[in-house]
Amino acid sequence: MIKIELPDALRSLAGGAREIAVEAGSVSEALDELGRLYPEARLRILTRGGQVRPHVNLFVRERDIRAHDGLNTVLEDGDSLLVVPSVAGG
Amino acid sequence: MVLDKRLAELRDRIQQLSPAKAHERLVAGAVLIDVRDPGELAQGMPAGAHALSRDELEMRIDQLAPPEAPVMLICASGPRSLLAADTLARLGYEQVAVVTGGMQRWKREGLPCTRPEGIDDDGAERYARQLNLPEIGIEGQAKLADARVLLVGAGGLGSPAALYLAAAGIGTIGLVDDDRVDRSNLHRQVVHRDDRVGTPKTDSARATLEALNPNIDVRTHQVRLNSDNVEEIFSNYRIIVDGSDNFPTRYLVNDACIRLGLPNVYGAVQRFEGRVSVFAAGGRPCYRCLFSEPPDPEFAPSCSEAGVLGVVPGVIGLLQALEVIKLATGVGEPLIGRLLLFDALGTRMRELALGPDPGCRYCADDREFPGYVDYAEFCSGRASQDLETND
Repeated sequence: MIKIELPDALRSLAGGAREIAVEAGSVSEALDELGRLYPEARLRILTRGGQVRPHVNLFVRERDIRAHDGLNTVLEDGDSLLVVPSVAGG
Repeated sequence: MVLDKRLAELRDRIQQLSPAKAHERLVAGAVLIDVRDPGELAQGMPAGAHALSRDELEMRIDQLAPPEAPVMLICASGPRSLLAADTLARLGYEQVAVVTGGMQRWKREGLPCTRPEGIDDDGAERYARQLNLPEIGIEGQAKLADARVLLVGAGGLGSPAALYLAAAGIGTIGLVDDDRVDRSNLHRQVVHRDDRVGTPKTDSARATLEALNPNIDVRTHQVRLNSDNVEEIFSNYRIIVDGSDNFPTRYLVNDACIRLGLPNVYGAVQRFEGRVSVFAAGGRPCYRCLFSEPPDPEFAPSCSEAGVLGVVPGVIGLLQALEVIKLATGVGEPLIGRLLLFDALGTRMRELALGPDPGCRYCADDREFPGYVDYAEFCSGRASQDLETND
């Protein structure tokens, strides 16, 4: 089981949940699962073409997935996928 | 009790001199070492004495006196100089004496005092508790006084940061903001006051900071930061604190910091969450390595509607102030290459590793500066008005 951790800004698009549990073997699969449950939440993270939006970062094991293998980063049971979008508030 | 017994034993075998006698010997060329902490030294030390705290004594004593030379020690009232004398005796110093009654008696008897360079009476008293920290001391305080820090935004993040930086003795604090104080600001923008609603935030903040610490230089820039004025303003400072509240300013701050080689102390908040990081001079990583472009307008949270719990920018702004102090003094480990997330609802801090983006258009190796970008419409397309404020 993989845990997708959503930021405050996206929770309203996922029924208010802080965390979504999905079965997935990679970051890409986890986001597909998120999209199946909450299409709008996925659309805030990935473009329609399936690329990570430039104002969003994804972290696995506290490291940017770009430092792993991008969307192909392998997820193991118990991993969490943290979504960190850009916010501007000050 | 153990200490009392130990001190009594030391008094029996270590020579004790009155302050007057010690002064005579000092004038005749003997070495006098003040073993008190820097914060105490700032209050005054014997003229002609050397400052060497007990922490440094063993490592540096041979720079001041060889083991065969007579050495006198002084502290505040006596006990620490006795313990220090014991340390020197163990190192082989044979002619060690302490000044009875310490600095308290030295002053009471009107013997000559001096103050370490770089600190005046007000500073010695005002900063006494941080001067006492060996990591700061007089040298660190002088670095804070030399620091020139620009706060972009005198709002939720800038308010707590400005208060603590002023209190800490940052010598020059600049404030950029073109907005005026609104009553809806006051739940989080604690540098302002109710009776200043309607006045420029820069003026309001300056009044508060100068009241808190009249010995610092507060400079105001009541303008909206843009690509035409950013370099002229930034070039007067050495550290930039990004406390803005809109994407165009955040990217402008980043790009100007890269171009001018300035560190960017980044903080951002929304609702119950905040994050902070330090993008070093030259970047790698920089803000664009983390978020290469701002969100499309339809995905940008509305600046005016997102809301924020007042304490959240308080926490993040203080962390920004902390990072500034570390950068200015060289103390500790700055938050470079790390992003700290704060979750107020869960009361959790989380640290993420950040790396440089090898394709970053602004800070990757051998990139020429591509120029500033004018990001036009934000905040769900309603922002041309919202974007002009730094609240």
